[in-house]
Amino acid sequence: MTDETIDDSEDSGCSEYNALSRRQFLGGAAVAGASVFFPAWLPKVVLAETYASTRDVIVSVFLRGGADGMSLCVPFGDPDYYTGRATIAIPRPDSTQTATRGIALDNFFAFPQAMNALVAPYTATDLLVVHATGQFNTTRSHFDAQRYMEVGKPADPALVTGWLGRHLASAPPVRTTAPLRALGLSAGLQKTLVGGPQTLPISDPANFTLGGSATTLNDRLAFLRGDYASSPEPALAAALDATNTMTLLRSLNFTGYAPANGAAYPTSSFGKALRSVAVMIKADIGIEAAQVDIGGWDTHAQQNPIAGSMYNTMRDFSNSLAAFYADVMQGAVGYNVTVVAVSEFGRNARENGSAGTDHGRGTVMFAMGKGIAGGRVLTNGWPGLAKENLESGQDLKVTIDYRDILSEIVKNRLGNTNLGYVFPSWVPTVRGVTR
Amino acid sequence: MQIDVPPDEAVAKPRSRRSFIFLGALAAAVAPRRVVAQAITRRPARSVAPTGRFRTVAQMEVPPIPAAWRDNLTRLLRRATYATTAVELTNARKTGYQGWLSQQLKYSRIEDAAVNAAVAFQFPLISQSVDQLFAAPAGTVQGQLQQATLYRAAFSKRQLYERMVEFWSDHFNISMAKVGYLKVVDDRDVIRKHALGRFGDLIKASAKSPAMLSYLDQTQSRAGRPNQNYARELMELHTLGVDGGYTQADVSELSRVLTGWTITGKGLFNFDPAGHDWTQKTVLGVTIPPGNSTMGQEGMKEGEKMLDVLINHPSTAVFISRKMLKWLLTSEPTDTQVNIIAGVYRSTGGDIATMVRAILNDAWMAAAPARYKRPFHFLVSGVRALGASVTSADPLNRQLNSLGQPLFLWDTPDGFPDSVEYWSGNITPRWSFASTLSQYASSTTVSVNVTPYMGVGLDVAIELINQNIFAGEISPATKAALRTFAATGTLTDARIRETLSLAIASSDFQWY
Repeated sequence: MTDETIDDSEDSGCSEYNALSRRQFLGGAAVAGASVFFPAWLPKVVLAETYASTRDVIVSVFLRGGADGMSLCVPFGDPDYYTGRATIAIPRPDSTQTATRGIALDNFFAFPQAMNALVAPYTATDLLVVHATGQFNTTRSHFDAQRYMEVGKPADPALVTGWLGRHLASAPPVRTTAPLRALGLSAGLQKTLVGGPQTLPISDPANFTLGGSATTLNDRLAFLRGDYASSPEPALAAALDATNTMTLLRSLNFTGYAPANGAAYPTSSFGKALRSVAVMIKADIGIEAAQVDIGGWDTHAQQNPIAGSMYNTMRDFSNSLAAFYADVMQGAVGYNVTVVAVSEFGRNARENGSAGTDHGRGTVMFAMGKGIAGGRVLTNGWPGLAKENLESGQDLKVTIDYRDILSEIVKNRLGNTNLGYVFPSWVPTVRGVTR
Repeated sequence: MQIDVPPDEAVAKPRSRRSFIFLGALAAAVAPRRVVAQAITRRPARSVAPTGRFRTVAQMEVPPIPAAWRDNLTRLLRRATYATTAVELTNARKTGYQGWLSQQLKYSRIEDAAVNAAVAFQFPLISQSVDQLFAAPAGTVQGQLQQATLYRAAFSKRQLYERMVEFWSDHFNISMAKVGYLKVVDDRDVIRKHALGRFGDLIKASAKSPAMLSYLDQTQSRAGRPNQNYARELMELHTLGVDGGYTQADVSELSRVLTGWTITGKGLFNFDPAGHDWTQKTVLGVTIPPGNSTMGQEGMKEGEKMLDVLINHPSTAVFISRKMLKWLLTSEPTDTQVNIIAGVYRSTGGDIATMVRAILNDAWMAAAPARYKRPFHFLVSGVRALGASVTSADPLNRQLNSLGQPLFLWDTPDGFPDSVEYWSGNITPRWSFASTLSQYASSTTVSVNVTPYMGVGLDVAIELINQNIFAGEISPATKAALRTFAATGTLTDARIRETLSLAIASSDFQWY
């Protein structure tokens, strides 16, 4: 494929984001006017001149722990995959082990049986797999790698907001009256979303209430709104958004929700989270982004992607996403939604002595939606698993920066051309992610 | 094939920690008096009328302090306990700032028999051996450790000690979802044993803790097939810090040094010479000569030697000092503060109590900005402020799950986050908990007694709230708003409980 640079003519954020220190983030903000949608602690940015009229809702998924891309999407066409993984390799699609063999996606890559549920969106060309991707920064620390990826720039302690938070801060609300533009399905706000206006962590949207007597509810809400009015940011914005969102979410029927097209969400926390997101998207309340996490990928020991621990994690991941696909994206009413899934790094090409894999480099990412040019495994040339082709002699190389994929989605599916602000100092290469 | 790697991002930019250590140490050595003088002048000027509840002046270098927080002894108590009760404050007025601190640091001398007896009676499992724990139902074991932790934080008189137990429980985070009952032993024999002792003893105990070794897969690591998980986190999270100057090669080599460190039976530490890699290794420039399996337990000394290297490494002094400063003083300690405390670490051989005392000095405390309570801290402070009696901590423990901080169940080895950015959005569950807490009136679980607030008149009731919940430093705005709410209708049992719930839900109560 030809590499073509996205034209994001104005790199407007550069000097400004550098000034956004944590101190400013926390300190000088109580003067924020309630009517502006920029919190005062965010730098003002130049909004792009035009926006797509129908922007997708984005569901951003983080596979926490460093997911083994070679189990999630098996490079069965590379013989060195089998050399390095004596006990944990997924059998080739033409293997006689019919119950455990891979499901071919093309003549080189396969899904493991655990990912079976995602074959349908893949075949419908709505699911894109990107391989040998990740970040070029070589840290093998989970926590640094996750932070860099969520922030959208490596090793910059001055940048404290997340890429999705900055997208929201640099795009006008789809619905100006929406009290909640984005949420993290989590007890605490994930870094990806930090900096987003009208953005809250809500671990259980079905149970977002004040409790106590209904008679005094309004008086108590009034007290809280008044009492938090002089809180420092980000506590102030959170409190105001919370009081507004409470009424909104109370009006939605989470418990009685019937998914469309016979979709069945797993009862795992990931499945439940996607189900709640589906309710909110269909209720059309102005939600623009949701961040959902799924853990369990730090497979140092007894990884077993064929029938054990990682099999179960992948199955939860794929069944939940497949249910979301059937419920929200298929059928007469296909909602404008893009799902993107990343992980901080992959695992070593060779298994370790505990039938697991230690921290590696390149891995996979996923993008799903009607606007995604899916039905293929996108690579920038498979780097190969022979020892001489591995990074530091042990890892699948990173050949596509994750921000290339995200940039195209932000620009073409979320309608935000202000890429220099969302991904500071990154000049993305077009990879053909969107239709 | 073309790979687009911008040169400045191909590797992490080195953060020049070494240079600031040097400069900071120089500054501290040359001008120690000036440092203290600066700290004193940063004491909030009372003559300046604050514009809002929190000072938010432009030159503020750190998150703000509620304007009503004036008394420095109260600040110390707010910071070093799980909520300043009226009783604790009265006691501290007698001993004074330094006296109270000394008392708290010599924690074993604080009479705490009632709490110890209650814990022993309600939660017998937590003092049992691994064999007994192994035989007990996993859910019961987990519940008892969680509830005992909650109960001690709420009622122990050794408040500063409990705050440090919480700190080390995160620093050496272990999830019971992975290791089950082994965490009970770790909590007792590693964290609680050394929470105010020497860092070296703490890390050495942790390195032989069956819970830690299983949590980070060290038990899977053997000669010829080392597992790097523990070796990496030992340097990244427990000692040197991610920028502490080690490389991937050091991780790999240290994992080989530690091969053979494993557990046996139902959970006892064991060094297995047959599983140890006896070939030569080099970690952090230290070369460990080859040996052989006839040397038996001698092989364990390689790992012990490396632990000593890590304990005495300058990066460890800085990393631990910075983290303790963040916990006890401010989310943004200055390099000068870090260097001073790192100096204490070096000169005392990592004596944690002495470091805590140095951090909580009254000049720094006077300028310390407010910190945002985590859910556990918030819940326990609510229980203390309302003087709730707890016969069973089970309902509180369940509430803590809803608040987002189920104890000993954080998955990853970094421990629960401790930042206002992470937690402050999750406010609705706190408000909901405040309501639930104030309604408790069960003699078999949790009960909040509102009798003292009844029949005393509105003004006395509000002043009691000020003393009990805000340590006498309620903001005028919150006081007026609570009074307005309480004055709507008659001051019934129900109205008092709702007023108390709003005090717990209020903005200032989320900070300490």
